[in-house]
Amino acid sequence: MFRIRFHGRGGQGMKTAGNILGSAFFGEGFEVQDAPRYGAERRGAPLFSYVRASRTPIQERGVIDNPDLVVVADESLMMLPAAGVMQGVTADTVILINTRDAQGWQARARFPGVVLAVPAIAASPPGGTPPLQSAVCAGAAARLVGVIRRETLAQAVRLELDARGRLMLDQDLRWTLAAYDAMSAHAGCVRERVAERNGVTAAPDWIDVPQDSVRRAAPDIHATASSEQSLTGTWRSFRPVIDPGHCNRCSWICGTLCPDSAIRVDADRTPHIDYDHCKGCLVCVAVCPPHAIRAVAEGKAAACEKIAQ
Amino acid sequence: MSEFVIKSMKDLPSVHLLGAGTAMCAGCGGLQALHEVYDLLGHKTVVVNAAGCMTLLANYPYTPFRGSWLYTSMASAPAGAQGVRDALDILLEKKRLPPEENLTAVVLTGDGSAYGMGLSATSAAIERGLDFIYLCYDNEGYGNTGQQTSAATPHGARTATHAGVAGFGGEKKDLFAIWAAHRPAYVATVIGAEPLDLARKIQHAVSVKGPRLILSLAPCPTGWDYDPMDTVEIGRLAVKTGIWPLKEYRDGKVSHTRVPHPRLPVEDYLVKQGRFAHLFQPVRNDKLIAEIQARVDEYWRDVG
Ligand SMILES: Cc1ncc(C[n+]2csc(CCOP(=O)(O)OP(=O)(O)O)c2C)c(N)n1
Ligand code: SF4
Ligand code: SF4
Ligand code: SF4
Ligand SMILES: [Mg+2]
Repeated sequence: MFRIRFHGRGGQGMKTAGNILGSAFFGEGFEVQDAPRYGAERRGAPLFSYVRASRTPIQERGVIDNPDLVVVADESLMMLPAAGVMQGVTADTVILINTRDAQGWQARARFPGVVLAVPAIAASPPGGTPPLQSAVCAGAAARLVGVIRRETLAQAVRLELDARGRLMLDQDLRWTLAAYDAMSAHAGCVRERVAERNGVTAAPDWIDVPQDSVRRAAPDIHATASSEQSLTGTWRSFRPVIDPGHCNRCSWICGTLCPDSAIRVDADRTPHIDYDHCKGCLVCVAVCPPHAIRAVAEGKAAACEKIAQ
Repeated sequence: MSEFVIKSMKDLPSVHLLGAGTAMCAGCGGLQALHEVYDLLGHKTVVVNAAGCMTLLANYPYTPFRGSWLYTSMASAPAGAQGVRDALDILLEKKRLPPEENLTAVVLTGDGSAYGMGLSATSAAIERGLDFIYLCYDNEGYGNTGQQTSAATPHGARTATHAGVAGFGGEKKDLFAIWAAHRPAYVATVIGAEPLDLARKIQHAVSVKGPRLILSLAPCPTGWDYDPMDTVEIGRLAVKTGIWPLKEYRDGKVSHTRVPHPRLPVEDYLVKQGRFAHLFQPVRNDKLIAEIQARVDEYWRDVG
């Protein structure tokens, strides 16, 4: 059995990547499970999807906690324990990261196994739409498992991305296959392992769930603005940074237009960004009249902060 | 809300009453409008929220509100507001609630409820003269379930249920006109990208009693398929191209609070959104673009 986990943020297409890879495995005659896993949060929040593919009926259920391949579409997730990228990896797991610095991540994570970079596929024409992440990640993953033929992969892309229309589909196919071809040196580096069978795992103990009284069980919230306990700052892949020298302390433009109430303006009209909650939509960067707010890649910003400390 | 009149951006609230940390998408135009409205309305409200994206605001045990919130099914938010209003009125009458602790019933729904499933309950509530504010964030589709077509989806847009080369072939319903035809206390269109215009309308809405609608176009990066960073630009373009007229109905008359001049081609607005990409690629669909433009031109010609 192959067990693959795709990590990304809502909107980056990792659910689709799982669908494409799942269909490709299916096309090669495998039994397949593929499913995304996310909470109530929306675009921007960390999520993952997972694929199991086996030559015999699959009896494992639920999320994968012993992956053979982990694909990471957004390297900022590596620093976010809550994203669970490294959950259950062993030295035999292959990690494929969308990064220019695979070796750097290997060192930082002190990971003894193989770390590869998602191939950089150029936009065509140059400056055109950047390649679809789901296509590139699925294409690269398909090559790493070594049991999916180019034609079968192409068929899976046609099946899963059909709704995008013919022109888009041609482009998606090119990207997927380019990523597949770029990983040829590593074809088959992800190992197929024995599938677990029913009866191997012990049945859980009986759990008694007592019925609570309505006062206790009804979802009544008495606190105000308790949402502030949710730290949506973890959603960011880019961080807005205000340059106080350029900010002309206009009239609350960034503070009013930030959808997330994440910019506070103090008594002398200086804006402050609340990084615990800022989701990194970059609306403030787009609206600041004197361009006093920059977008900095979250990985870099965090590194700068460490140095500053 | 205090008595002073909002004249410039400087007068907008600098303190945000709506809590951060909600589950809405990064760059959500509906949340932008909601916080601008809530920062003015404040905690002396009961928000009656029909199923939709915004139901995720109060996600147990978290809530961004400083006042009350109540969840209803998609069709029945105005009925929920009636119950809340009646209960408050009884308490006031029996002097079990001092007048200074009175609350405003605020219905909060998406377009799926406001234009469709909840319209009958809304019409009946206006008919009964219910004293409430209805805030609709119109993201032009069933956003929470994956942007299927709703009664507010505009002509030509791609949705999860209309994915072909022509997009949605039907028409966006005119909810403003439907409300105005009931002769309610107040109806206004707003957009988060124009906070000053929005604030003035909220100021007027709170100064009157009866059924009041605040209808906000809500640019939706997820459902409309664009970069979250462009939420304000797309909102401003909706106004500048005339596809989202900012207007109000009061004392029996409709007036426009912003007349775009010069009015930009509607194409400038469409081209920024993936849901209209099929109008431009693989080949430009001049006919459909012209059709959409013609609808906008016709609207403004009738306005005079
Ligand atoms: C009667 C009924 N039908 C369907 C649903 C499933 N549903 C939940 S949210 C939603 C979409 C609501 O759309 P809208 O009101 O526009 O709000 P949005 O999701 O766009 O914020 C649907 C269809 C429901 N909750 N109730
Ligand atoms: S990026 Fe800017 S506008 Fe977006 S949530 Fe953060 S502070 Fe607010
Ligand atoms: S919008 Fe720009 S200039 Fe205005 S307060 Fe914000 S950072 Fe400063
Ligand atoms: S789907 Fe659209 S309306 Fe719903 S939370 Fe996301 S951006 Fe907002
Ligand atoms: Mg909607």
